[in-house]
Amino acid sequence: MSMSDPSAADLTVVIVDDHSIFRSGLRADLADGIRVLGEAATVDEAIALVVATQPRVVLLDVHLPGGAGGGGAEVIRRSAAQAPNTRFLALSVSDAADDVVTVIRSGARGYITKSASGADVSDAARRVADGDAVFSPRLAGFVLDAFGAVSGETAEASDELDRLSAREQEVMRLIARGYAYKEVAASLFISVKTVETHVSSVLRKLQLSSRHELTAWALERKLL
Amino acid sequence: MDTPRMTRPRVRLVGGVCAGFAEHTGLPLPLVRTITVLLTACGGAGLLLYCWLWATTPIAQDSTDPLKRVLTRPSDPAAADGDDAPARSAPVTEILLGVALLAAAGALVASRMGVDVPLAFVIPAIVVLGGAGLAWRQFDDLRSQRSSSSSALLVRALGALVLVALGILLFFVTGEEPNVWTVFIAAIAVLFGVAIVVAPWLFRLTRDLAEERAARVREADRAEIAAHLHDSVLQTLALIQQKADPASDASRLARAQERELRDWLFAGSPGSSVDLADELRRLAAVVEQEYAAQINVVAAGQSPSSVPDALLGAAREAMLNAARHAGGTVSVYLESSPTAVELTVTDRGPGLSLDDIPSDRMGVRESILGRMRRIGGTAELSPGPGGAGTEVRLLLPLTDGAHHVDV
Repeated sequence: MSMSDPSAADLTVVIVDDHSIFRSGLRADLADGIRVLGEAATVDEAIALVVATQPRVVLLDVHLPGGAGGGGAEVIRRSAAQAPNTRFLALSVSDAADDVVTVIRSGARGYITKSASGADVSDAARRVADGDAVFSPRLAGFVLDAFGAVSGETAEASDELDRLSAREQEVMRLIARGYAYKEVAASLFISVKTVETHVSSVLRKLQLSSRHELTAWALERKLL
Repeated sequence: MDTPRMTRPRVRLVGGVCAGFAEHTGLPLPLVRTITVLLTACGGAGLLLYCWLWATTPIAQDSTDPLKRVLTRPSDPAAADGDDAPARSAPVTEILLGVALLAAAGALVASRMGVDVPLAFVIPAIVVLGGAGLAWRQFDDLRSQRSSSSSALLVRALGALVLVALGILLFFVTGEEPNVWTVFIAAIAVLFGVAIVVAPWLFRLTRDLAEERAARVREADRAEIAAHLHDSVLQTLALIQQKADPASDASRLARAQERELRDWLFAGSPGSSVDLADELRRLAAVVEQEYAAQINVVAAGQSPSSVPDALLGAAREAMLNAARHAGGTVSVYLESSPTAVELTVTDRGPGLSLDDIPSDRMGVRESILGRMRRIGGTAELSPGPGGAGTEVRLLLPLTDGAHHVDV
């Protein structure tokens, strides 16, 4: 962090996507203050680039050729240990649970669809860099489903990994209805920071839980 | 060419013939099984028919999604996916072998006790039966795992065939005076017997190969096309939506096209049923085409496949209202628990309160509130996110489970 470097405050990112049109389109649309360190088109290129440049955030396509066929999830698994300060934000043309949960469980901090505007992607990248989680409405719906919130299961202890607390369920329900974090906070009369804490906690559960629905789901797709 | 072919299911009791026939004709399975057993009692006709169908009908294919494999293609395509062999719940060959051994033991005991058993006929018959059973078993194994250790299996299969040949020869060596004709007939009989044992296997092997090749070509073609569309068109449509104003025609068209293409690319099995979430998505697509709005449908829980039309009608009206008066992004969230269906339609428009609506406006009062009341549900209107916009909340309790069908 040398103060003489004018770009020290910039958020550094790497764009990983196998479509050059999309990469250049996104690159042009990213907000000021976000500096692109490089682009990669395959799993192997991405791992090499992430390890070499150590960006703050990787904008990572879910479907990628190369490597062992694991796509974006493989990039996270194979490069996370060598880039400990890098966070991953997944991008895909669809937000189907199949695509989302694979990368989330591999360690991505959030998820956004490719049709999102450059401003939205920049915003999501900043939030991920700050250590927060980015949830789409559809992912929130999947989480409510997978953790049994729909059938009325509620966690009793705060450290329980396999169920959601009542507050987390409320937050997820509002996100599923399309509310932004700020709107969730206003509706529940809590601070935005508290909303972010709840969302991060849900993300952690989604990544670590050994709940039957999630493990069975992952096994079926050969993720474990 | 479009007539559905009869296929045998992958999970079967014996050969899957009865199950396949029942599926093909729509007759109940127990009935088909009973008729087969009865026909078998009539001089073995049922058994013959069963064997013939077993040899000639293919096994049902299970479909997997080839698109994902193509999209995340590994750099070295070493990892191959092994297709699972059909699972059988009754061990037919073991039963055949067991029967042969029991018959042998029975014949032996009977002859010891002085009963006049035609051993000269019984023993060769048992050897032939046992050999055929063993051979078929080996061929089945050979067929299901073509590549691995097939040489050992082949040796065993040949051994079983030798047993069959030996059994047939035994019929003749017990004869009185061997002459040119008995030797000749014995040779023909051996050839014929071995041919009968091998024929079904050969027949099915060639058909398997041809079918597999055709299926592979078809699947590869489709996956290539799908991957190409996914890579080019879907990305471009995403890019258009990213660049264009969300309310513009360009964005709307791109969204509609994307949805259609995605439906085609990720089309589920043709028989999959349409549930409430699918219905809502379809309605949302129709509304989106008419108004400058983006409707995102999120569903949680196992959505019921049959709900009263009034619920769908009320949901459609709520979406129409939101698209017409608010526009922009409209969120639809459906949560289905075993006891109730809850649906919210949220917009960020100017907002609307029930007191402001003139009583003659049919839209909200009749089409949403009235409809829900009549089917025993409730509808509420409240301000949307952060006090802006409108949120319509429809709640329908499912009391007796009549509307909820578990899949």
